[in-house]
Amino acid sequence: MSRLKSWAIPRTPVDKKSARLLTFASFAIPIFIWCLVSYTPFIWHPQVEITQPGGVSYFREGTVIDKEIFQLEIDKKIAENPQIDMNTLPQGFPVNPVYLPAPHEVVTALYTAFTTPPKRNGEPWLHESLGHSISVIAWGFFWAMVFGVPLGILAGTYNAASHLIEPFTEFFRYLPAPAFGALAVAILGIYDAPKIAIIFIGTFFQMVLIVSTTTRKLNMALVEASLTLGCRGFRMIRRVILPGILPDLYRDMRILLGWAWTYLIVAELIGTSSGITWFITQQARYKNFDNVFAAILIIGLIGLLTDILLAQIGKRLFPWHTGK
Amino acid sequence: MLKNIHPLAAWYTPEIKDRNARILQRPKALTISNLHKTFEHKGKKINVLNSIDFTAYKREFVCVVGPSGCGKSTLARLIAGLETHEVGAIHIDDDLVDGPGPDRGMVFQSYSLFPWMTVKQNVMFGLTESGMSRNAAEAEAFQWIDLVGLEKFANAYPHQLSGGMKQRVAIIRALANQPKILLMDEPFAALDPQNRLKMQRYLLEIWQNIDITIFFITHDLDEAIYLADRILILEANPGRVQETLSVPLPRPRKEETLLSPEFLATKEYLEKLVHPPTTEVDMEDKLSMVRMVSVNSEVPDIF
Repeated sequence: MSRLKSWAIPRTPVDKKSARLLTFASFAIPIFIWCLVSYTPFIWHPQVEITQPGGVSYFREGTVIDKEIFQLEIDKKIAENPQIDMNTLPQGFPVNPVYLPAPHEVVTALYTAFTTPPKRNGEPWLHESLGHSISVIAWGFFWAMVFGVPLGILAGTYNAASHLIEPFTEFFRYLPAPAFGALAVAILGIYDAPKIAIIFIGTFFQMVLIVSTTTRKLNMALVEASLTLGCRGFRMIRRVILPGILPDLYRDMRILLGWAWTYLIVAELIGTSSGITWFITQQARYKNFDNVFAAILIIGLIGLLTDILLAQIGKRLFPWHTGK
Repeated sequence: MLKNIHPLAAWYTPEIKDRNARILQRPKALTISNLHKTFEHKGKKINVLNSIDFTAYKREFVCVVGPSGCGKSTLARLIAGLETHEVGAIHIDDDLVDGPGPDRGMVFQSYSLFPWMTVKQNVMFGLTESGMSRNAAEAEAFQWIDLVGLEKFANAYPHQLSGGMKQRVAIIRALANQPKILLMDEPFAALDPQNRLKMQRYLLEIWQNIDITIFFITHDLDEAIYLADRILILEANPGRVQETLSVPLPRPRKEETLLSPEFLATKEYLEKLVHPPTTEVDMEDKLSMVRMVSVNSEVPDIF
């Protein structure tokens, strides 16, 4: 059990086998808890699905009802007629509420959600909704980068630019992006533009500050060395500062992209609901909670996979950067 | 403090005297006149350098020593143009220093190679910045890389090099620009003693072969004596010139030089100037306190 010992030493890398085991467990534990709650009736299951109405006026076969009410009705029946035949009493089995589907239902929904046609003509398929969401994020993030990265680098390089740019940015970043929803619709209409604007507002101001901090962290000796080698002005930004911060800048963008996803749901509720959010609200309305869970999982998977992919690309792009 | 006869006077042979006199007759490479520098710290002005006057001559090797806080690094940064000063002037040849420029190369203590560039690209950096074509710069860079024996590492990234190799690249990167003066701010302080000695020999070799004035900051007195023609000794609070000492050692310097009596005499003399004996008294008290603390030792005390 020397392996277990190494788990308890602060800030020491664990061996490869442990690392793999723990990574697996980090997903397996939540899923295991979910399975426990879903498949073992004695843990939660607060409701009863009725198999036999037993003469209660509002009981139908297949309806789901709270345990207490079910018991109350049985007690009433027994009180009315103490000699009642046990077999004619209402019957049912314990279930979880409809909003907590079991793992196997969600896994099936992950597949069927893509293959089920939309309820009405002209409504988008799930993959079309997803594509729409991704395009909204991509545009919002693109515009945030176009303005945020140069401003951040300027603020991190020149103190004058920092004094000009950062105070207002610092103030604005505390304004919650969704608060601009109504305004964005009034100005930009009800389709994609206001959604892109919300993603932009949510990421741009953070981006300026994060990029400026990253730029400031660049080793001053590199800047000074380039000065004594005759490099200055915008040439220095291009030849020294930008390549110097590029690996960290790349990492910042990865983190901020995750940020953009969190604003997506709010953004898509603005104006005409669209994309993955439209799918989720629509399915919730039909009480297809397995589809809701599937959609949420898909968002998580897309986020995780893009991040892993970008991390791998980053390793190739910056061979000199040794994981600091 | 100084008597009429300098304590080291006996070591100046006619040969050395003659050599030193010849150096002082060369054209001036660096002139520092009445230089003052103050920093502001928590609203209080701190005088870091006070009325510094100094002249370095062409192809001279000058070392600067002094206790910590005497502003020796600041002096190098002022010459490089990385800091600004209010009073006084610094001239390189006859040009007034106003901001950093490629005529003053600098080697820093911390490794300042660009980590995203290979050794070759690092050396080419200054050359292409000064407008040289890529091909010409590349050819030139290879010559410099050859000079310090790093041909095999021309395409390596800095993180693949040892500390000594990194500083060799930093030195040739600065020299490739053909500066008039090379400023070195404790460049070998982070190296282990063996590598430091190797780098010192490298540096002397390079210096003897090219036309360069070197202004070398160090806190290592051995290093200063071994390398320098003249040593500029600063005192702290505020930083002032205490003495300018011509080193009474012949050239070329060899490894035996480090053990010669004139070397040891010079070191003893410098030691007194840079680390006056007063500071050591209270340290002595502390050490005897340590001895009074009982240690649960398993072996008998040998003192």
